[in-house]
Amino acid sequence: MAISVLLYLVAGNAQAKNFKSESVKIYGNCAMCEKTIEKAGNLSNEAKVDWDKDTKRAIISFDSLATSKEEILKRIALAGYDSELFFAPNDTYANLPECCQYGRAKNDSHNMEAHKQKMNADHSQHGAMAQENQNKNPLAGVFEHYFSVKDALVSTDGPLASNKAEILLKSVMEVEMDKLSMEVHMAWMKVLKDLKTAIGNIAATKDVGKQRVYFKSLSKDMFEVIKVSKSETPVYYQFCPMADSGKGANWLSLEEDIKNPYYGSQMLSCGKTVETIK
Amino acid sequence: MTYYKYCLAVFILILSLHFGYGQNVVRYDLTVTDTIVNFSGKEKRAIAVNGQIPMPTLTFTEGDIAEIVVHNKLKEGTSLHWHGVYLPNKEDGVPFLTQMPIAPNTTHTYRFPIIQNGTHWYHSHSGLQEQIGMYGSLILKKKETDPTFREGIDDLPTVPVILSEWTDIKPENVHRMLHNANDWGGIKKGTVQSYSEAIKAGHFKTKLENEWKRMLAMDVSDVYYDKFLINGKNESQLSQFKAGDKVRLRLANGGASSYFWLSYAGGKMTVVANDGNDVEPVDVDRLIIGVSETYDVVVSIPQEDTAYEFLATPEDRTKSASIYLGNGAIQLKSRMPKLKYFEGMEMMNGMMNMDGSMDDMGMDMSLQKMDMNTVMYPEVTGSGDVKMDDKMDHENHSMKADANLVTLNYGMLKAPHPTTLPKDAPVRELRFELTGNMNRYVWSMDNKVLSETDKILIKKGENVRITLYNGSMMRHPMHLHGHDFRVLNGQGEYAPLMNVLDIMPMETDTIEFLANAEGDWFFHCHILYHMMAGMNRVYSYEQQAPNPYLPDKKWAYKKLQMESNKFHFMAENDFASNGNDGKAMLQNTRWSIGTEWRLGYHDDHGYESETHIGRYIGKNQWFMSFVGFDWRYRKTEGSVEKNIFGQGNTKDSRAVLSLGAEYTLPLLITLQGEVFTDGNVRFQLMREDIPISPRLRWAFMVNTDKEYMTGLKYIVTRNLGISTHYDSDMGLGFGATLNY
Repeated sequence: MAISVLLYLVAGNAQAKNFKSESVKIYGNCAMCEKTIEKAGNLSNEAKVDWDKDTKRAIISFDSLATSKEEILKRIALAGYDSELFFAPNDTYANLPECCQYGRAKNDSHNMEAHKQKMNADHSQHGAMAQENQNKNPLAGVFEHYFSVKDALVSTDGPLASNKAEILLKSVMEVEMDKLSMEVHMAWMKVLKDLKTAIGNIAATKDVGKQRVYFKSLSKDMFEVIKVSKSETPVYYQFCPMADSGKGANWLSLEEDIKNPYYGSQMLSCGKTVETIK
Repeated sequence: MTYYKYCLAVFILILSLHFGYGQNVVRYDLTVTDTIVNFSGKEKRAIAVNGQIPMPTLTFTEGDIAEIVVHNKLKEGTSLHWHGVYLPNKEDGVPFLTQMPIAPNTTHTYRFPIIQNGTHWYHSHSGLQEQIGMYGSLILKKKETDPTFREGIDDLPTVPVILSEWTDIKPENVHRMLHNANDWGGIKKGTVQSYSEAIKAGHFKTKLENEWKRMLAMDVSDVYYDKFLINGKNESQLSQFKAGDKVRLRLANGGASSYFWLSYAGGKMTVVANDGNDVEPVDVDRLIIGVSETYDVVVSIPQEDTAYEFLATPEDRTKSASIYLGNGAIQLKSRMPKLKYFEGMEMMNGMMNMDGSMDDMGMDMSLQKMDMNTVMYPEVTGSGDVKMDDKMDHENHSMKADANLVTLNYGMLKAPHPTTLPKDAPVRELRFELTGNMNRYVWSMDNKVLSETDKILIKKGENVRITLYNGSMMRHPMHLHGHDFRVLNGQGEYAPLMNVLDIMPMETDTIEFLANAEGDWFFHCHILYHMMAGMNRVYSYEQQAPNPYLPDKKWAYKKLQMESNKFHFMAENDFASNGNDGKAMLQNTRWSIGTEWRLGYHDDHGYESETHIGRYIGKNQWFMSFVGFDWRYRKTEGSVEKNIFGQGNTKDSRAVLSLGAEYTLPLLITLQGEVFTDGNVRFQLMREDIPISPRLRWAFMVNTDKEYMTGLKYIVTRNLGISTHYDSDMGLGFGATLNY
């Protein structure tokens, strides 16, 4: 007992002696930032951070034998807040709540520019493709919108999938059936009723889980049609054996790389191409 | 005098011969010594070469002659293996396979021509020395006149980067603990996956099904490490680089058992070479570097006055190591979020058959393309387990999933030139299933360890094609000595060349190489502890010339076989208020020699011991048959106890032999049946170490002699637990359990 008290005293003394205090600049905005900054910086018996949202400065006091200013500021930067020594990771900063999106320590225009460019490129490509398709296959619009629904499911976005399904339904209604060849017409009529039901069901809910159930039968019907109608660009018929609780399910994709609409990012690359339609 | 002149003349002649051939001898002297290091705050023994860890970077240019003189100042033998290098077999540096170990206080010279270029590394191939410091970069430069010289890549400034890890526990102990399924590492990592954690995560059923299928807690790596290192440091800065610079990092994973995720805060990385062989440049956000693999990546410094973090995160994501490129404030890279183990467990349950084999559900997995662990990655799947106990914890709950992350896989690698083998050569087809079980830490190929197989004979001039299927639950970096192999990855003639193939569970990959280098070549899993458990083979060329460094090859091969199938010792004893309870075991791949004892403090509690010598059978080793010897003494005034079959037994003084068998039932319960020489029969159900919480374990036993036991143990340190148990013979007791 006596020994432990003695030890405690020695430790306590050592702590007091080695404790250093410093004022440092830490970028941030609001009271919410304050909480995150202090929580990230504090470490019991080693470091204490007190940040002021008006001056954007913090008093950091720490045991210089156990830790350092660098270690504390690094932890704070990893939580999303820039300082003179460390810049927060861009994704961590981007994930901060809106009220905490402070003006950063450095000029970030470079990154923004690149992002904008990419967005534009994606957009223009998309538009061009849609236009091209309209002139050729009467079912092109249907296929195109099917892929939009699929993409929405890949990104596990229920509301978007529902929205895209509505557009798909519209394009299904607008198909000029007299322009279809005999074979394609037969295939189309065979699945049309089921197709509409499935699409309607997807449009009616925002629950991704339910949408995926209907998407399975939708994909099967689409495959029956596209097999006969063909496509200018290769379409890949893909299969994930784990979907639908292990029963497996198929989908169509314009890319050979697997992007699984039944699991989304959770099992993005699960599956394989079982047929290529050209 | 004339003699002296003569000597001089000869000397000049030799010298001019050297220059005549244009071959430059580059010599390094390496002195291997014991040293004390402090990576974690504790002083520990390590091995240094020329006083440093990692070993010095050795640089040669293609066309040089390498001369490396090793001075062994250790008290044990050593060796150096030149990983990924084409060389004469006797220079390959595998003790008992290509040379005898370099004995203490002797010098050995490795000498070989450099006939290739690329990023390689070198390490000790003796025991576990690689874990404690014996790894270093080996850079073979391309000549500037080389027709394959790539402007904008091969002329960039380069930095050799060697990754490694450090544990405060002696590697021999790490190895022993792995074989004894000691879960101290799991406790330190927070990956015990106990029932209480499962319930908290809403995964009780998952855990139960997992144990029903006889699996122990799953993890992506086996060992707990105290520190991760890049070039021997956890953090370091290279401030000579400025905005606009491009830097080629020559990365080698010198870790003994850690895979590393590599990512960069300054944008995408361009992969330009793998295992020392050029590949077509490919841009990625991240890649995983398998144990012993090398990659060359080009990164750039985007802005002035900023240093960008190059982050290496071990696959289990417990910690990380960084190097900062550039001058100024440091732009950090976000840390990889913790793995969602129970999600992984759930998936594993779905793929595990009751008989312990795995079912890939017809997915034909290969080439790292489908990483099943993805279900555990919050950065890809979003953080599923949001805990709302702290509403302010924004760093976790706003974690967004990023599906556009480009992760390198082998399918994306393409050689810049055709790599096809001679078409008219005879083809030799081989197939291996990688096998193993975590419960006893047995790792093998086709369920055979090195000590159970002969060398595999191949002929010079053959094309050897090897199909590998990983039927085990861990990934394995399979390394072939002395050759590069083509990995058939769908790039046709441009299949990339490698010397290490990482193969994930349930994957099937095909590799092929031209047998063009005589000798005995090791083919093994490069996870050090898997290699030492026997996951090795030797390819031996038929009719090869004798090796001057290894006069008795037959004897040496036996020695090599023994080294990777050693016996491991474990012991524990519970010093309790009602007696001593303990066991000691000596085990290797197939055999188990164990004895258990219960020693009371006075005669009417009695003293007993049971000794079993058994052999494990089958791939999963759920079955063990054994012979036993039981001895007991107790003073109970001759009362006769009857078992449930009505067989009598005084138990007072008994010494019998037995024949029995043990079988692991679902939920990891051991069923033991035994027939004794006195005609008695006993069946027993038992399970120890049921993980109730991260540190709390429950044990029970019940048998047909109407004996039973139940107990709890709280694990305090690696060697100490506090325990309580109730025993039908000795009653209730409390105590401390010590284990080794």
